[in-house]
Amino acid sequence: MSRKTERLVNLTIALLATKRYLTKSEIFRTVDGYEGADESKERMFERDKDDLRNLGIEIEVGSFDPLFEDESGYRIKPESYQFQLGEVNATEIALLSLAAEAWRGASLGSSALTALNKLHAIGVESDSELLIGLAPAAVSEDRNLEIAISAITSRTTLAFDYLSENLDSQNRVLEPYAVTSRFGHWYVLGRDLDRGAIRIFRLDRFSGEMKMQGRAASFEIPKEVDVDGAFSISDDLRTAQIFLRDGRGLNLRNRAKAITDQSPPEGWQKFEIEFRDHQRFVEELLWYGDDVVVASPPELRNEIVNLLKNAVSNYG
Amino acid sequence: MAKSQATPVERAARLLDLVPYISTHQGISLQDLANEFSVSQNELLNDLNTLWMCGLPGYTPLELIDLEFESGYVSIRNAEVLQRVRLLTKQELVVILLGLDILKSSLEDSRADLLISVSTLSEKIKKIVGDIATASPIVDSAHRATIVQAIKSRKDINLVYHSTIRDSVTERLITPLELSLDLGFEVLYAYCHSAEGFRTFRLDNIKTVSLGKSSVEVPSKKAESDFNWEILIKSRFRTSSERFRSDYLARQIVETQPFLVKSFSQDWLLRNAICTLASVEVQGPPEARALVAEKCRQTLNLYENSGFSTR
Repeated sequence: MSRKTERLVNLTIALLATKRYLTKSEIFRTVDGYEGADESKERMFERDKDDLRNLGIEIEVGSFDPLFEDESGYRIKPESYQFQLGEVNATEIALLSLAAEAWRGASLGSSALTALNKLHAIGVESDSELLIGLAPAAVSEDRNLEIAISAITSRTTLAFDYLSENLDSQNRVLEPYAVTSRFGHWYVLGRDLDRGAIRIFRLDRFSGEMKMQGRAASFEIPKEVDVDGAFSISDDLRTAQIFLRDGRGLNLRNRAKAITDQSPPEGWQKFEIEFRDHQRFVEELLWYGDDVVVASPPELRNEIVNLLKNAVSNYG
Repeated sequence: MAKSQATPVERAARLLDLVPYISTHQGISLQDLANEFSVSQNELLNDLNTLWMCGLPGYTPLELIDLEFESGYVSIRNAEVLQRVRLLTKQELVVILLGLDILKSSLEDSRADLLISVSTLSEKIKKIVGDIATASPIVDSAHRATIVQAIKSRKDINLVYHSTIRDSVTERLITPLELSLDLGFEVLYAYCHSAEGFRTFRLDNIKTVSLGKSSVEVPSKKAESDFNWEILIKSRFRTSSERFRSDYLARQIVETQPFLVKSFSQDWLLRNAICTLASVEVQGPPEARALVAEKCRQTLNLYENSGFSTR
């Protein structure tokens, strides 16, 4: 049985019940569990305060008596201790619970569980009838997601190794601002301290675990973080014209515009399609093999023809 | 689901959360309470015994928390100070915020009332933690719900599926077996009656899904032969490795060394090889090289056909 657990609970009760600030000496005298020399009591108390803060419990420090400024006192304000989303109804409880449930078994499962304990403790019966047929699930088994979120909420710098396109492991130092999931991957966005600019990193390209570095609250998160902007490629938007075989190239077809004023060969249609990342677009076109033919721009057409010619002579 | 030993601080947090929970669930059985907090009954008894020693300074019976649980059912008195539900930590709020985002994307427009509630809750949370976490799920949660239900009730599924390998959308009758994660993507492992074989379906490529009849026995798994292609990556290492689903983190890729890529689908290997013509070379087997050559020749022929000339 842990004395420390008991002491933390007793300290919380004492600071929460008091209407006025309690001085350290009052705490040491009355709260069960502070033993030993003054120095070790002090150390215990400092650690306990940090531990409670990590649980989200803010201990307020105030002047006990304005005439004796050196004697500071402590208390926990009930309003800063209690559930902060205010009154919630049955629908809201159902939605909040389902949102937390989505993380069951995933990388943030333990926070999801404690959140659910609190939501259930409110004692409002959840209106789960409302939500039949929904099964949201957060998909991540990556421990780095949890570390990234801790770093953001505590505003602590992150250090990690990131694999470049050449698969070199590069050491990066980041003030993390946000996490986001897109295209089936999780990303962390922040200010890269070496590059001095906003950068975005895909979590499954990290080698090893991220590490928090330095103190909490060491930077401010900007009010407006432009996540979309960080994702957009700076290359200009360009247009290509392509032929697609009937019924093929579905993903290309879905984002292309049909061109109807020209007559393509029998069994084919012509489309106009936009792209930014040149190399990625070349790869995408080639994926469809002989179901797609590029008409223009000529550089793109030539590049593909050259790749095919080289391949024929190399593999043939 | 007992987890590894909790730290004293984690235990303290749990004790603080037990009080309001028991207060609103007076008379709850030890087993139900243990389940709610995902601890064993022994751990729970330990917690309750510790809590029983806590209270207001003075620590006389009048000031201690009064717990009754010998009967196997738990009730609590004299715990007014801790009775309020504790605030959600920022980490918990972010977890919920992301969950709400995921939930929102799966609500249909017809459920406007719920959409509004979700947005209101998200806004409330963002006011506290900031706009620091978003999720754009690629899987429709209604699809997942149907699949989960089918697996539980042993029903077949009618699927409309977009196969990017075949570049086509087809209807299939499948017996769903297991949901899992594959390189971060949700996949369904199933017996496909249309293809008469075991197949893996990516949930984000499912167009529609509906429950069918009760499942009959699926045939036992036949060993389907895999194709093994030897490839050498020459540039765009990370992109190309990801394309061939090679685990470069585990393998610590050596740049100049070829490696084997395995797949049940020769078509997938061929498409990948052609789309990475500029950065990857297929070194073997000879049949693989012949397939690449053939496909490139066919494609090149089209470019040399006057019907596709630039006009």
